[in-house]
Amino acid sequence: MGAYFCPICNQTAFCGKKKHIFGKNHQSRLRVVLLKFTEKVKEARRTLKKPQVEKFDCTQHKQKFWCYCCAVEVERDVTDDNMTVMHGGLLEHMATREHKNNTFKFWWDNKADPKFRDRVLITEEETERFKAEVAKVLESFVEKEDEYIKQQADVIRAQEKHRQEVFQSLLEPNEEQELSNGTSSSHPSVEASVSSQFQSQISDQQKGSGLDRMIDAPWTLEGQNLTFIGYQDSSSSGNVHTGAVPPWLQDDPLEGTSGAATQTEIGPSLQDFLKQKEQEKLRKLPPNRVGANFDHSSHTDANWLPSFGRVWNSGRRWQSRHQFRQEEGQKNKQKRKREHGTNGSKKTKTTEHHSSSDI
Amino acid sequence: MSFFLPKLTSKKDIDEVIKGVAEKVLVLRFGRDDDSVCLQIDEILSKTAHDLSNMASIYIVDVDKAPIYTRYFDISYIPSTVFFFNGQHMKVDYGSPDHTKFVGSFKTKQDFIDLIEVIYRGAMRGKMIVQSPIDPKNIPKYDLLYHGI
Repeated sequence: MGAYFCPICNQTAFCGKKKHIFGKNHQSRLRVVLLKFTEKVKEARRTLKKPQVEKFDCTQHKQKFWCYCCAVEVERDVTDDNMTVMHGGLLEHMATREHKNNTFKFWWDNKADPKFRDRVLITEEETERFKAEVAKVLESFVEKEDEYIKQQADVIRAQEKHRQEVFQSLLEPNEEQELSNGTSSSHPSVEASVSSQFQSQISDQQKGSGLDRMIDAPWTLEGQNLTFIGYQDSSSSGNVHTGAVPPWLQDDPLEGTSGAATQTEIGPSLQDFLKQKEQEKLRKLPPNRVGANFDHSSHTDANWLPSFGRVWNSGRRWQSRHQFRQEEGQKNKQKRKREHGTNGSKKTKTTEHHSSSDI
Repeated sequence: MSFFLPKLTSKKDIDEVIKGVAEKVLVLRFGRDDDSVCLQIDEILSKTAHDLSNMASIYIVDVDKAPIYTRYFDISYIPSTVFFFNGQHMKVDYGSPDHTKFVGSFKTKQDFIDLIEVIYRGAMRGKMIVQSPIDPKNIPKYDLLYHGI
């Protein structure tokens, strides 16, 4: 009964090794560990039959993994800084004898499931096969790389050639010009001795101008890709450099047809504007005010009456109009009757009373 | 005093004014220019007309000139003041029997101003009948004549 440190659980078990190892905690952790480990090995196994060789990528190809059985850190891939064999390191490590021994020991110590044990081991036959395959794949990879490099070289050479040709074509007409300038400036008497000097000077000049031409050349090279649309002659109307009036401030020849209309003002007239202002004010008023939808400009005839809730009226306000008109009608009838001299109906008396009480 | 207030002399004028005044209270004083009580109310109306100009338009109507309206509005006593808003007649409960018009004169200018304010506020909120702010003892008393029906 001693203290036992379990590297898998990362715990010290004071009750002893056996008790800890058969415990639930340890076994579950072990299972997780084995799962992770076997995943890595699975991936490596996939490349057993078809090894992957890739150009060396320093970010991804130097990864290491922890082998639980041997308790060492092993490099996953094999590389010589130019190419890498993916998972090569893993497979190599798994093939070693020490790893085999360690695996057995690990399985016995931790009482893991022996079914998984074989997954972690790689037999010698498999390694032999793998090595052969790797050799072949490496060869083909190298061939491909060489081809690619050759292609790149061709492209570069072609570009270089093109550039040289352009230089030459530019230099030739300038050489002719230089030669002609040089001969005209030289005195005919001093020709013999000086001409050689001049020629050397001219050649120097040519070289100098050649250099200048070479500096200018890149710009003109680019100009070769552009479409030439013709020399813009603006001597009649002037352009931006001479300070002419820009086209958008000039009078448009098309404007002539509607010239009369454009001389008048644009935009709403004063009346419309004031009306718009009024409308804006109206919009701000509460929409449920009395008579909001009253049409102020509607034309009504001579005998229009506003809706007035009369004193002795029962019913709605607009009916008072109706009633009033009825009364008016009756009154007129009564008046006519009176003119014709008839008498004695109650209605007349009341209307008389009413009309007398009216001021 | 009634020289300063606009006068309406025909039904047509009254119609135009009722239809034309927009978003303001329309005050129509029905009466006669030489009646004593009418003179009192005319004075109050003309003195307050300018201050209330944004809320109300005030007009003077002679009852003899537009008899049809005199009959339609049941004008029995003068002065009678009728209120409109956007062509709609506004009724006011003064505590008197007749809500359709104000009969008599106001005691003070402030009474009239308060009344106009109350009518304007009520109209803006969609009310066609409002409660008068005037103290009932300042409202002139009259007997409403029974209209034989």
